[in-house]
Amino acid sequence: MNFYPIFLREMLIFKRRLLRIGYLFSTMVTPLLYLVAFGLGLGRGISIEGVSYLAFVVPGICAMSSMTNSYSWIATTIAVGRLHFKTFDEFQVSPVTATDIMLGEVLSGVVRGLFASSLILVAGAIFGAGFPKSPVFFPVWLLNCLIFASFGVIAGFRAKSHEDTATFSNFFIMPMAFFCGTFFPVDRLPYFIKAVLYFLPLTHASKALRASFLGQGVEIISLGIMLAVFVVCFYWGVITIRRSNR
Amino acid sequence: MIITENLTKYFGQIKAVEKLNLHIVKGEIFGLLGPNGAGKTTTVRMLNTLTLPTSGRAEINGLDVVREATKVKRLIGVAPQELNLDRELTGRENLRLHGLLHQMKGIEERIEYLLKWTGLSERADSLVKTYSGGMQRRLLVARSIMHRPGVLFLDEPTVGLDPQVRRQIWDLIRNLKQQGVTVLLTTHYIEEAELLCHRVGILSHGKLIVLGTPPELKAQIGRFVVESLDDGVTNYRLFEGREEAYRFAQTRGDDVVIRESNLEDVFIKLTGERIER
Ligand SMILES: Nc1ncnc2c1ncn2[C@@H]1O[C@H](COP(=O)(O)OP(=O)(O)OP(=O)(O)O)[C@@H](O)[C@H]1O
Ligand SMILES: [Mg+2]
Repeated sequence: MNFYPIFLREMLIFKRRLLRIGYLFSTMVTPLLYLVAFGLGLGRGISIEGVSYLAFVVPGICAMSSMTNSYSWIATTIAVGRLHFKTFDEFQVSPVTATDIMLGEVLSGVVRGLFASSLILVAGAIFGAGFPKSPVFFPVWLLNCLIFASFGVIAGFRAKSHEDTATFSNFFIMPMAFFCGTFFPVDRLPYFIKAVLYFLPLTHASKALRASFLGQGVEIISLGIMLAVFVVCFYWGVITIRRSNR
Repeated sequence: MIITENLTKYFGQIKAVEKLNLHIVKGEIFGLLGPNGAGKTTTVRMLNTLTLPTSGRAEINGLDVVREATKVKRLIGVAPQELNLDRELTGRENLRLHGLLHQMKGIEERIEYLLKWTGLSERADSLVKTYSGGMQRRLLVARSIMHRPGVLFLDEPTVGLDPQVRRQIWDLIRNLKQQGVTVLLTTHYIEEAELLCHRVGILSHGKLIVLGTPPELKAQIGRFVVESLDDGVTNYRLFEGREEAYRFAQTRGDDVVIRESNLEDVFIKLTGERIER
């Protein structure tokens, strides 16, 4: 087990980015816009499923932003590092295993995902949405980051050019960000769309995050599906890395 | 020790390396020469476990580069042709990460030593993207030997450097020679190969066309060259002895040069092409 240097590398780069105001601002601005526009603007005075829309949407935006931040940074740095700067050759001529690389990268994606979405929670609390009521919120939150960081690694290693990661993001990540119960309940959609959404991990993440945020019971099946998706993606990622240099 | 047996790599229709047989002994500095696209980098990448051979095999210190790739990775140091340093990190951080990747002990002492050795101490804590090309190249070489590998691959370690920095890198390589490190060096600078390498092999279109010590190879073609300008084209004539060359030169006009032959002449003689860019 030697994933630490891979994790450390990403964290050193992340730390430098954080010190730049522009980076913080650009990660924060989109989710905050959603929060203000939907939570405070559109949703003011509306209640949904018995809670204020703000309290409804904060865990949804938290699911969304932990997903996008875990995914996109990882996917692009890996794709650019592999294809353009060739920095990944350094890992691949070092005696670390594909599992080490996977673990190090995924954990660094998790850190970014948790960081960005915790800012949403803080902003939500300031606007009056309160804090998560059930501790189950935290493992679900973590699991969501683990899933999408794993996707990020897979996308980064499969990309033939770094635009590929953006394509994948536009066709897969962005639709999920809107339809998987982040801004409105999935139940409102037609049956066949609902059926598709049921198989997407973010649907379960936003459901479980919302339930635990509001102090309601979390469906075990959601946790099971998320865990299964994570295990499959992690393993898939390891195999992708193993084959990538050949 | 590096051994290749019929090592071959095709990229689709392109025959990048064909049936390469090498036997590089411990402590040898071996130079792989050839023009652009000859297959030098592909050979190095197969030996580094980065590229799978299409056929044939290779071993490093008795370990198969495909089947025992992880063990091979512990033995080797690699300075690739591209400057693949982490540009967003400092020089020191680049070296530290390398040490951690190899689970080294005494990382910080080794970093200090290498920074001094490469003359980068003062800039150690600046981001690599602020380094000049020559500084990056030196850091790349330092990183490749950070974990004290017994077998080192340097893919064009001096490409694009000014003569002064090139000499610095040569000194670094000479130091390694004294430490008994086995080095596979690729270059298309003839002078570099003659100066540093015990033996050289010349690749052309993926095939090894000559192999031997620089003096041997030069003796094969003739030790002296007369360059003369005939009708606007430089002609090369090779001679065994100085007198012979001199006599021939006198029969030519003013534009003649007599010089000792070099590996470039060997290559031109064999292929009709030039190696240096
Ligand atoms: N990944 C690849 N895909 C397709 N063709 C490749 C690939 N890598 C190398 N080649 C081809 O293989 C041949 C040998 O390339 P290689 O990079 O080994 O040459 P080289 O001797 O290192 O050249 P240079 O002096 O320019 O570095 C070239 O024809 C090149 O186009
Ligand atoms: Mg090359």
